[in-house]
Amino acid sequence: MPKRRDILAIVLIVLPWTLLITVWHQSAIAPLLAIQKDEGAEGKRETGGQDSKEYCASDKDIVEVVRTEYVYTRPPPWSDVLPTIHIITPTYTRPVQKAELTRIANTFLHVPNLHWILIEDSQRRTPLVTSLLRETGLNYTHLNVETPKSFKIRGDTRDPKIPRGTMQRNLALRWLRETFKNNSSQPGIVYFADDDNSYSLELFEEMRSTRKVSVWPVAFVGGLRYESPKVNAAGKVYGWKAVFDPHRPFAIDMAGFAINLKLILSKPQAYFKLRGVKGGYQESSLLRELVTLSDLEPKAANCTKILVWHTRTEKPILVNEGKKGFTDPNMEI
Amino acid sequence: EELYRLQGQIRQLEKMKQPEKQPPKSSLPTIFVITPTYVRLVQKAELTRLSQTFLHVPQLHWIVVEDSLHKTPLVSNFLMKSGLTYTHLHVPTAKERKLQEGDPSWLKPRGVEQRNEGLRWLREDRRTQPGEDSHQGVVYFADDDNTYSLQLFEEVVRFHTGWRPSRPFPMDMAGFAVSLKLVLVNPDACFDGEAPMGFLESSLLKGLVTIDELEPKADNCTKVREAARVHNV
Repeated sequence: MPKRRDILAIVLIVLPWTLLITVWHQSAIAPLLAIQKDEGAEGKRETGGQDSKEYCASDKDIVEVVRTEYVYTRPPPWSDVLPTIHIITPTYTRPVQKAELTRIANTFLHVPNLHWILIEDSQRRTPLVTSLLRETGLNYTHLNVETPKSFKIRGDTRDPKIPRGTMQRNLALRWLRETFKNNSSQPGIVYFADDDNSYSLELFEEMRSTRKVSVWPVAFVGGLRYESPKVNAAGKVYGWKAVFDPHRPFAIDMAGFAINLKLILSKPQAYFKLRGVKGGYQESSLLRELVTLSDLEPKAANCTKILVWHTRTEKPILVNEGKKGFTDPNMEI
Repeated sequence: EELYRLQGQIRQLEKMKQPEKQPPKSSLPTIFVITPTYVRLVQKAELTRLSQTFLHVPQLHWIVVEDSLHKTPLVSNFLMKSGLTYTHLHVPTAKERKLQEGDPSWLKPRGVEQRNEGLRWLREDRRTQPGEDSHQGVVYFADDDNTYSLQLFEEVVRFHTGWRPSRPFPMDMAGFAVSLKLVLVNPDACFDGEAPMGFLESSLLKGLVTIDELEPKADNCTKVREAARVHNV
């Protein structure tokens, strides 16, 4: 019948075209790189790396180009089940301040349920920090307390100098105790993060499971490549791998431990000692009020990985500014 | 155990997350960032925090070029875990150009061969890509010890320096970006390792543009979009 013949004719005409289009499509896609969905969590990236396809170009120098679909919400949406990480960062005005805060904010923007407590060493909260915090979109609390000049590093020689940032960290502890007084059931972790260190994202997930106080190695402290807690076969901390005074009660850097908020709230008298603290003993002055060595929880694969580096920023060379200053002083740097 | 419960919940949440849809890829040019890197104590720390900034930038393609004879496991593993789109290259600096023990860091220009290798790969790679779209993009040179604000990648940076203003393009390495098209259209433009100190950036740029053609960004250069040369010890 004519109708059936027409249909057959149409099919025979369309079929080769669909085949052609399919083949062309396949050959266009094949040389493109494998698209791999990244689920955002740091832990997932390990398996992601194994799944990635290798793209071998004629140039022998190229090994691998991995394309990952990324979620661009920053910061990540708040979760009701993750404990909040309260990051305490003292800061002070100096040329590289904005650079440091910018950089560290870019790190924090990847961490879910992060609450940044930034405390300025100043009489008043500065416009620079105020607008920086607002623009990041992070969940934050902005505090300030000025260290009296007599306490500052190059101050009165009679009074032993207090380490930088002490009053600011203590203010943050006080703020936490006042804010969470009645709500001690809200899970949280407290971490002291200085604005010039480098942190891997994995570190924040390691500290989230802290029950009392967790510890891990820190690079570039104590005049070593790294300092680390000593962990025995039972997974307990029994000492400190350090050259500078390894017999300190806690021979650990500020960046090498995190404290469960519950513990902070349950011991309201525990603060960093202000005066009469020997160099390197600041961390001990707080931790001895909170835990004993056997309470410590080793993280970072039983303290075998470096997840934080005590980097320092070199002072920038401003010699060309001269006496009168060359650049526009109104330009915020 | 509580830990596993929490981890499981995290995974479940990640799956439930509604991702903010990126705009279709064709409307966003790719930013090719060329970063020379070399082995030293703080290398991993620097690369880590740099990558954390880059992860926020859509359509960024990181070209990391090691100053070495072979790819190092540190950088290879790092890049694999970084979550970024990247190309991993390597080329050793010529002996005469290498800084000797005790040389001040400004004595010899660093990263010349590595940046040129990045440019070479880019030209080579783009030649084999089909379509006009593949020639869209911006090339930026980012050293691994600097800090970058996220706004920077939407704009080109300031134009100001006090040292030898008679240089053709007086600016720091981190202070300019070039369109990919220009790089492809001028295949011989590259960094001249023999250029006198401070003229390294100019040696590339004079092969690409004249001073009038530079587009000031960052609100006509009234805002600093990044802090250059934040050296880390």
